[in-house]
Amino acid sequence: MSNGSSKPSDAEIVRRVIGGEINAFESLLLRYKSHVLEVVKRHVPYNEVEETAHDVFVRAYLSLPTFKERSSFKQWLSTIAVRTCYDFWRKRYRSREVPMSSLAEEHHEWLEKVVSNRPGQSFTDRDSQKKAGELLDWALDRLSPGDRMVLELVYLEGLSGREAADLLGWSVANVKVRSLRARKKLRDLLA
Amino acid sequence: MKSLKKDNTRLKELLMRAYREKERPEVDELWQMRVMSHIRSLGPITSRGRYFMLLEQSVWRLTPVTCLLILVLAALLIKLDFIPDYEMVKLFIDDPVEFTFVQWFGL
Repeated sequence: MSNGSSKPSDAEIVRRVIGGEINAFESLLLRYKSHVLEVVKRHVPYNEVEETAHDVFVRAYLSLPTFKERSSFKQWLSTIAVRTCYDFWRKRYRSREVPMSSLAEEHHEWLEKVVSNRPGQSFTDRDSQKKAGELLDWALDRLSPGDRMVLELVYLEGLSGREAADLLGWSVANVKVRSLRARKKLRDLLA
Repeated sequence: MKSLKKDNTRLKELLMRAYREKERPEVDELWQMRVMSHIRSLGPITSRGRYFMLLEQSVWRLTPVTCLLILVLAALLIKLDFIPDYEMVKLFIDDPVEFTFVQWFGL
C-alpha cells in the first residue's frame, strides 16, 4: 500500500500491472535494474549480462501473477534472476561443441605460487586478480550448469543451503549434496 | 604442486574476490526502452493467462503425489497378480453369452 507519499509500493505497482497498466512496470524496472544487473553479472559472462537482464525482466513480467506478497519483490526478482542465469548455462551447455582448451602455463604457475603459500607473497595486484578471474572462469566452464550455480551461490557468495535452495527452487538436501560434489570437482580441476 | 585435496584458504579468498569484483556493464536508456517495448509487445497479463499460470503451478505441486499414487497402484497390481489380458480372457470365458459372441467373430 502507498504510505501517503507519491512513491507507490512494489505490491501496489504489481497490482496495477496485473490490472492491465503495463507502463507501470517501468517503475519496477527503474527501481530494480541495478539489483538485477548485480545478480546477473556474477553468473554470466560480461557480454551476456545485458541480454540476460532483459530476459529476467520479461520473465518477471510474465510471472507477476505468481508473485505473492509473503516475500519482498526484490527477493522474488532475485529468484527469477538466478533461475534465468541457470537456464542460460543449461542452454549453453546443450549447444557446446568446441573441445575446451587446457589451462595455460601462466595460470599453472600462478596457481602453484598461491598453493605453495610462501610467506610475504602478496596476490592483491591487478594482474593476480585477473589471473584468479580467468582461472575461475576456466574451472567453472568445466562444470555442469547445476554444479556451477550451486558452487557460485554457496562457495563463492557464501549463501546458506536454505538460501541457495530457495533461489534455485531445489531441496536443501539436493543443494548440500551438489555443493559438496561441485567443490570436489573444482578441487580436482585445480589440483 | 602442493596437493589441493583440502580447501586452500588463500586460493578460496582469491577466487571469491575475483568472483565478487567482476565488472558490471552499465545499461543505458536504450536498453530500458528495449525491455519496455518487448514487454508492451507481450500485451497485458490477462486473467486467463493468470489462471493458467496458477493451474500450471498446482499441476507441478501435485506431481509427487501423482507419482506416489502410480507407484502404489503398480505395487498393488503386482501383488494381486493382475494381468489385464488374462483377466479379459477369463471374463469372456466365464460368461457363456459373451463367449459365444467372441466365437462368432472368431476371436
